[in-house]
Amino acid sequence: MPDVRQTAFDIIHRLRSAGTQRAVYAELRRTGTIFGYDAFLIGGLPHSPSENLSDCSLISGWPPGWTQRYEERNHLHRDPVIRYIRATTDPFLWHEAAAHGDPRGSVVMNEAREFGLKEGFCVPFHELDGSEAGVSFGGTEVRLSEDARAGLHLVAIYAMSRAKAIARRVQEGDAAEGAAVGLTGREIECLKWAAAGKTAWETSVILSISARTVEHYLACAARKLGATSRVQSVAEALRQRIID
Amino acid sequence: MLRVLCGDVEALDPGLMNLIYRFRHDFFVDHLRWEACRRQDGRERDAFDGPDCLHVVGQEPAGRGAGTIVSYARLLPTTRPHLMTHLYPELLKGRSAPSGPRIYEWTRCAVAPGKRESAKGIDAVSGASFTAVAEAAEHFGLEGLLVQTHPVLVTRLMDMGWDVEALALPCTYDGSLLLPVYARLTPETVATCRRLFGLSGPVLRIPASDDTRPPSPAARPTLS
Repeated sequence: MPDVRQTAFDIIHRLRSAGTQRAVYAELRRTGTIFGYDAFLIGGLPHSPSENLSDCSLISGWPPGWTQRYEERNHLHRDPVIRYIRATTDPFLWHEAAAHGDPRGSVVMNEAREFGLKEGFCVPFHELDGSEAGVSFGGTEVRLSEDARAGLHLVAIYAMSRAKAIARRVQEGDAAEGAAVGLTGREIECLKWAAAGKTAWETSVILSISARTVEHYLACAARKLGATSRVQSVAEALRQRIID
Repeated sequence: MLRVLCGDVEALDPGLMNLIYRFRHDFFVDHLRWEACRRQDGRERDAFDGPDCLHVVGQEPAGRGAGTIVSYARLLPTTRPHLMTHLYPELLKGRSAPSGPRIYEWTRCAVAPGKRESAKGIDAVSGASFTAVAEAAEHFGLEGLLVQTHPVLVTRLMDMGWDVEALALPCTYDGSLLLPVYARLTPETVATCRRLFGLSGPVLRIPASDDTRPPSPAARPTLS
């Protein structure tokens, strides 16, 4: 990377104009090829022991297999990275978190390695309402210079800010965006991914929800749009400018 | 109760200015341990203080302890030496930050530790103080504020409805992470602050007759 500052500022510029979670996702995928990470996750920390990854994740760029394993074993509550977010305001490398956690945490770290997540970089967030959140970048070989760390830190701040703003807008704007036909934010989100050529399974991984739930959202959307197929749903949503 | 003071406050209300400098010394020196700012007289006053600053001051309302300062923020004009240019220009790595008559620098932001009811999240006094800064910026027709603070607090500025532009990459300064930003006031900033902190209306007391132009060094000293 010739100029980390300029590279990071260019990414931020694009993130700031990202209008959808899909656009944020795509930008972070692209950023991975520059900063050398393979996977990422934007999410809040659980408020209660009953919450699983899908309840907390805002945008997921984790490998599908790892998402599934993580959910099945409910790693959220023993993940040392999650625990360490609560204890610090400064970004850290995963191995630093593992060194602080209890031994149960190493189970999560070892399993992550099986999915190519050997090291990572995490940026913690401490919200105004007292809740915590994080943006985590992982991969087989995450090696960041001091400058690259600072650059990725800034990228994480803007990615989180955009992801939150879009989530809020989707929530509030179920109303506005899908007003005509009463589509919910999740239904619109699934339609957008369908329009991007993603299968229900791929969408389920991106949104950290089950494939069945995605199918359900798409079926509801089709019904509301008066469509008989997924292709027709997408075409109708585009025509009504519910998605772009 | 919050109000914004401008003009030669030291001459017009020396008693209040004295309370402000003492509050700042209690907070920044005794509480945050900024030893370089320690003064014999217990008044934290630096080279940037003077008649061109705006002071956003929160005080206890009538009753016990009435008038005691509970929150504070200083806004410095960027048309004169300010922290970004004259205290730590190295944060910007040789680049320049926005400046001009409608851009101020938000410094010395403080809430009395006793008023921070919970260690987590935000309390009523902090929320009102943040909102008051946005209201003051709007009242004086400012475009935005320069801020140097921890990245976690930069995220909070974004949540409060400021349009935040990073001016450099985060860096470690004096053992702590610092990110210099330019926070633009948007038409929604004040409303976002109020909604976030559960405030139903303005928190800043501004006299009806007040001049809304940003004070300039040439302006007659006023006290609002």
